[in-house]
Amino acid sequence: MAEQRESTDIQFAVIGSAGDGTIAAGDILKRAMAGLGYKVIAFDIYPAEIRGFGKCISRVRVTTEQAYSLKRHSDVLVSLDDSYAIPHVGEVCDFGAVIYEASPIARQPEGGHITAHIRPTQLPYGLNQREISERATNAARSRNIVVLGYLAGLYDIDPQAFRDVIADKFRSKAAIVTTSNTAAFDAAYEVGKTVFKLDQGSLGEPVHAREGETATMMTGNGAIVRGCMDAGLDTFFGYPITPATTILERLAAELPKHGGRVLQTEDEISAISATIGAGYTGARAATATSGPGLALMAEMLGLGVMGEIPSVVFVSQRGGPSTGLPTKTEQSDLNIAVFGGAGDAQRIVLAPTNVDGCYRTAGKAFEMAEKYQTPVVVLLDLYLSNRYETVVPPAKNPFAPSMNKGLDAWRGEGAYQRYQKTDDHVSPRAVPGDEGGMHTVTGLEHSEFGKPSDLPENHMAMSAKRHEKLKAALTHPDFTICKRFGDEGPVDVGILGWGSTFGEILEAMFAAQAAGIRCSAMKVVMLSPLPEQQIVSFMDDCGAVLVPELNYEGQLANLISGALGRPVTRLNRVTGAPMQVEEILAEIRRLAQAKAA
Amino acid sequence: MAEPTHNVIIGNGSAGNGAAITLRERDPDSRITIITMGSLPFYNRYDLPRVFRGCDDWREILVHPLAYYDDNRITLRRNSRVTDVDGRSRSITFAHNEVMHYDQLLVCAGGRGYLPEELSDYYGLMHGFHSFEAAITTRRALPEGGTVVMLGGDMIGLDLARTLIDVGYRVALLANEYTFWPHRIDADERGGFIAALEHMGIEVVDGMRPVAVEEGAAGTPARRVVFDDGGSLDGDVVMPFYGLVPTAEFMLRSGVDIERGLLVDPQLHTTDPHIWAAGDVCQIWSAADNEYRFYYGWTNVRQMGEVAARNVTGTNEPFEGVDDERLHIGKDGHILSPFWEH
Repeated sequence: MAEQRESTDIQFAVIGSAGDGTIAAGDILKRAMAGLGYKVIAFDIYPAEIRGFGKCISRVRVTTEQAYSLKRHSDVLVSLDDSYAIPHVGEVCDFGAVIYEASPIARQPEGGHITAHIRPTQLPYGLNQREISERATNAARSRNIVVLGYLAGLYDIDPQAFRDVIADKFRSKAAIVTTSNTAAFDAAYEVGKTVFKLDQGSLGEPVHAREGETATMMTGNGAIVRGCMDAGLDTFFGYPITPATTILERLAAELPKHGGRVLQTEDEISAISATIGAGYTGARAATATSGPGLALMAEMLGLGVMGEIPSVVFVSQRGGPSTGLPTKTEQSDLNIAVFGGAGDAQRIVLAPTNVDGCYRTAGKAFEMAEKYQTPVVVLLDLYLSNRYETVVPPAKNPFAPSMNKGLDAWRGEGAYQRYQKTDDHVSPRAVPGDEGGMHTVTGLEHSEFGKPSDLPENHMAMSAKRHEKLKAALTHPDFTICKRFGDEGPVDVGILGWGSTFGEILEAMFAAQAAGIRCSAMKVVMLSPLPEQQIVSFMDDCGAVLVPELNYEGQLANLISGALGRPVTRLNRVTGAPMQVEEILAEIRRLAQAKAA
Repeated sequence: MAEPTHNVIIGNGSAGNGAAITLRERDPDSRITIITMGSLPFYNRYDLPRVFRGCDDWREILVHPLAYYDDNRITLRRNSRVTDVDGRSRSITFAHNEVMHYDQLLVCAGGRGYLPEELSDYYGLMHGFHSFEAAITTRRALPEGGTVVMLGGDMIGLDLARTLIDVGYRVALLANEYTFWPHRIDADERGGFIAALEHMGIEVVDGMRPVAVEEGAAGTPARRVVFDDGGSLDGDVVMPFYGLVPTAEFMLRSGVDIERGLLVDPQLHTTDPHIWAAGDVCQIWSAADNEYRFYYGWTNVRQMGEVAARNVTGTNEPFEGVDDERLHIGKDGHILSPFWEH
């Protein structure tokens, strides 16, 4: 008989004020749990302000089975600051634990202490965070490490995994920093180990990676960087903007080590201009920005489309419009990614749905940019950019080092025409220095030679060329443009989703299936050109189609309705937070009941 | 709109919970808060022996379903130790530094196990039975068929002893003046009751005074109780049962009169017009006895809570304890206490 293994699905939420070490605690927790072999999804929420005040939340979901999103309800809430944690006590599930400072120094008004808000169904654990920290380190600032020690003791988690991460995290600081934090951790670990456990106090055994595989923790932005590196990115130009800045920062640290170049430009217009310029020279080039930056880049993207110049633009969406909500997540830049700019400027738009997808999409974006000679926009969002997941990087680099249709395809027959009409609508591309490849590139409409031409038949033909060539991207090798999950054949409810929200969609779909609803979900990774055939086929199977999105207007719903003329049911939220599984599930139930009626 | 009356109850036992639901019934609009030092919702303390029958889950001994508190709009403040009550400002201060206002206060804080001064140094080597957590900890320390050395006894300990013997443990009882607490036993009755204990399977050691508790030597049980004559008794756990003392220290600066417990009139009113008391924490004036006296047992304590709550909401009803507080010997030869009824 197979050995029975207890599965684990536990979500921790550490909540405190900026400066409490909340995010650092969450970081150590997730790295320790990933190191032990658990699957981890984690997401941090922090204020727009730099430091000193504002709420910070680090949520870490630890599982033995594959999970696709964070849960609405955490199993453990750790308060480093009651004033920020109290509003979140209601998010703790029944028989979930609330861990808090038992002996705050400051006088609390009535209701100011978290014990006033813990429901009878929740389990209170008072911990003298400050006192333990002060005894172990002579200072109170290791409270965030104290709570980790307590968690490790309470849930019987191997303390060495935490000690290793603590040592790694503080290795660039004086040795005393690691020593004192480890002492704080150990002191609280003993307290957690001996405290009376009000509920089951240990996790199931982790699932260890298969032989030859090494699981690692990565954010969406981290995976983008890794994908860029593995795809052989040559140059990167960027201007800092939340939540895309970490792509620039990490590439600035990594790319030069491998012979690449990173330049921080004076603004986003320069960044995209330089990227397109580098792409023109044959380099694999990219930039990264957010919605406001993409708005500035729109004109140059048009030049990239018109000039058929490869470039990759990573866009991590945040709340908009304008400066909007810099530290909150949203999916409201689909319109500008697909349509932004002057004229009929179709480009490839991709949207990965998880961290692993970020890696694959980043690398494939460079292939597509080269192969179809076009800008490629990769849409992320703050939730995906900053979300940590355990991923297993492929053992072998999956990306082609070059997909350029170079002068070999021209074969020197006749005069070189940069925009020559071909069967696949992709012209042989010369880069500066290619002998015999001299040509003109302009933002004006042009002939096959690249010379300006506003003849009606030329504009018709060139517009068709620029659009038709992109259709081949729908069958780009070794890349999933869309994928169906759940029940096969006719279903009561189908869900179409894109980007980070698809994790919540999958969780909702599984819950709906468990409730007896025939249900399927399709993720749409390629949003331009739209995989119409697959979407139509999916919709044909669905009694009702739901499109949950983190935007107000229903931008994917509009895209589908406009392109396919099919009605969909919209579910739109702009709370700055990820979509909740329960909201999607409720809508699935409603649609299923309506169909049954 | 005026703020609703805030009725605060300190104590989450049968008195406090009896008071809470009575208050809710009689004053539907009031705000009710129960404060407890414990981590758990209200459970029946008289059900704690079930822990030694294998009950591992505190949810099995809860008196009410967890939805009860929301259903009755009762706020339960757990892990909240009151350090001070100020009768003039009608405020409560918690150990966690929070200050709470009350309009009417019911003190139902109960009592805690008494430990003679000469044994207090050995507290860490003894096991408790005052809470679910303590009972579980004790059970985990007790090997199958192991020996419990009970110091004193009292009706709480003897109730536990019945269960321990029934499930296969050995109980050695160091009998003394607390053995039948809170019953008042005449000297000529004592021998009969001791014999009844032995008949129940309890190994009674009478007349020996423990002066120390030590860790057992290697190869022997985990604990050793040392007597004043140099003799000793080995056991796996040692549990003190010397009756209860009121938990009333936090009331010392409240302005109410305190002797051993909070002094209340028959209507359970303290000397502060906004403070009542019920349960093991209070001494009630008995005109018949011409003294303040304690009343124990589930029935008495529950009734006290209900009476106090009725008086808080406008009646002027005296508390009347159960008539028969005598210890009996049943037909099976075992002792029977009315305090065990619940």
